[in-house]
Amino acid sequence: MTKPKKDSSSGVKGKTYGEIKTRASEGNAVVMTAMEFKEFVRSNGVKKAANEVDIVTTGTFGAMCSSGAYFNLGHSDPPIKIQRAWLDGVPAYAGLAAVDLYLGATELDESNNMMHGGAHVIEDLVRGKAVRLRATATSTDCYPLKEIDTYVSLKTMNQAVMMNVRNCYQNYAAAANSSQKTLYTYMGKLLPELGNATYSSAGELSPLMNDPYYRTIGIGTRIFLGGGEGFVAWEGTQFNPGVARTPRGVPKRPAGSLAVIGDLNQMSPEFVKGLTFTRYGASLGVGIGVPIPILDEDMANACAVTDDKIFTAIFDYALQKRSRAVLKEVSYAELNSGEVSVKGKRVPTSPLSSLYKAREITTMLKKRILDGSFVITEPVQRLPMKKQMKTLETRSEKEAMK
Amino acid sequence: MKTKLVLNFNPESSNLPITHNLIAEHGLLVNILRAEIDEVGGKMVIEVSGKPDSIRKGIDYLKGASVGVRPIKEGVRRDDTVCTHCGVCVSMCPTNALSIDPKTRKVLFTEEKCVACGVCIDACPPRAMEILI
Repeated sequence: MTKPKKDSSSGVKGKTYGEIKTRASEGNAVVMTAMEFKEFVRSNGVKKAANEVDIVTTGTFGAMCSSGAYFNLGHSDPPIKIQRAWLDGVPAYAGLAAVDLYLGATELDESNNMMHGGAHVIEDLVRGKAVRLRATATSTDCYPLKEIDTYVSLKTMNQAVMMNVRNCYQNYAAAANSSQKTLYTYMGKLLPELGNATYSSAGELSPLMNDPYYRTIGIGTRIFLGGGEGFVAWEGTQFNPGVARTPRGVPKRPAGSLAVIGDLNQMSPEFVKGLTFTRYGASLGVGIGVPIPILDEDMANACAVTDDKIFTAIFDYALQKRSRAVLKEVSYAELNSGEVSVKGKRVPTSPLSSLYKAREITTMLKKRILDGSFVITEPVQRLPMKKQMKTLETRSEKEAMK
Repeated sequence: MKTKLVLNFNPESSNLPITHNLIAEHGLLVNILRAEIDEVGGKMVIEVSGKPDSIRKGIDYLKGASVGVRPIKEGVRRDDTVCTHCGVCVSMCPTNALSIDPKTRKVLFTEEKCVACGVCIDACPPRAMEILI
């Protein structure tokens, strides 16, 4: 995948990662944000863009529920092997040796009416706040302490690492509600009788929309994560590349996703935000940016995609089932216009992800690449193209082994 | 001149036709933004338009009828340090007081259009909106 694709007929000479990195380190790389690049292609064509542009920065900021962070707290005296733990009242998973905890973004503080969860605690830590740690344990000969009640912050911890198992979804469903009552969902407040529609992807700015077959975004890709630097650790959970795609390869339904990792100490509350979805619970707003090297004309073509060529479906969340009815196929250009027509009704639309912040991320990443503080990487391994999403059924032990 | 008022009623004053009187006797335009009533009285948020003198006389009339009157400059406040400009609120706002600037994709809040209905309050994921009445 590092070999440049030479296509003499098109007049486009491919570039290697090495060439792009050298140009970037010398301060000579041509870096554009996704918005700038699409505009450049509109005015100058794909071939010129492929020849002249080295890197395109993509970005997204949205609610990413499958997020969390792990911490190493350091050892107490006498030591404790924590079995149950709460950070500001939110339960953290402690089944990892003695003083390692994992805090999930959607874990809820049960005493607070679904308003406060792991995501808010993570944001508070990123803000530099101290949070209350309460922990209990069964005393052992090597770890005699039975309980501890204290305060911790990023300054007191050995490690504080964001580790999100499914972020940066490649496309996502849109939602509306045909029922008679308001629904409170992870897609936001859905007004009755198709009163509104919400959607979640950053569309043409979103990283995996610009690299639909995961040529440059893979395991080991260095990314902008929450304001700091992180890496793609693995395919995201529910990775499902086999969905229907447009002729240029962009999935029409939720498809790929990324598992990402990065140091919480580098992050900023501007891009790590505790969110509350009424009567659903907590989620974490995460900002992610991914640089895409324009290796050849195919990559330039992929990054030239615009919102009018990216589609999703509005699903009816009135159906409380795994498969919901499709109300309408729409483009992101239509969704971004503020209104779509569904069943003859004009339905106002709301994004759940901030395009304003997504743009900010693409600009910040561009700046970091240009000043040499962010170095692009070639993936160590590509993400799988043959993965299918399975379902959870009530089954017997035998059936589960089939 | 236009002004927003929060009116508080005790059970006795709840029965007075105050809206009618403000319109008929004081020549004011009255737009009812919110109205609630329960066993201990009621609350109403209205926007009145008219000559400054008529508004002053209208407020005097309300006070004379034992109605609590509190003028408000703003009904809903946005904390700009909290808003992420996601735009969840815009499709719910019945008056387009919340809208997305198509150029910058920032969420604009035009307070003059806000009728303090409160629909945006629990719809906002980062909880940037606060209702003050």
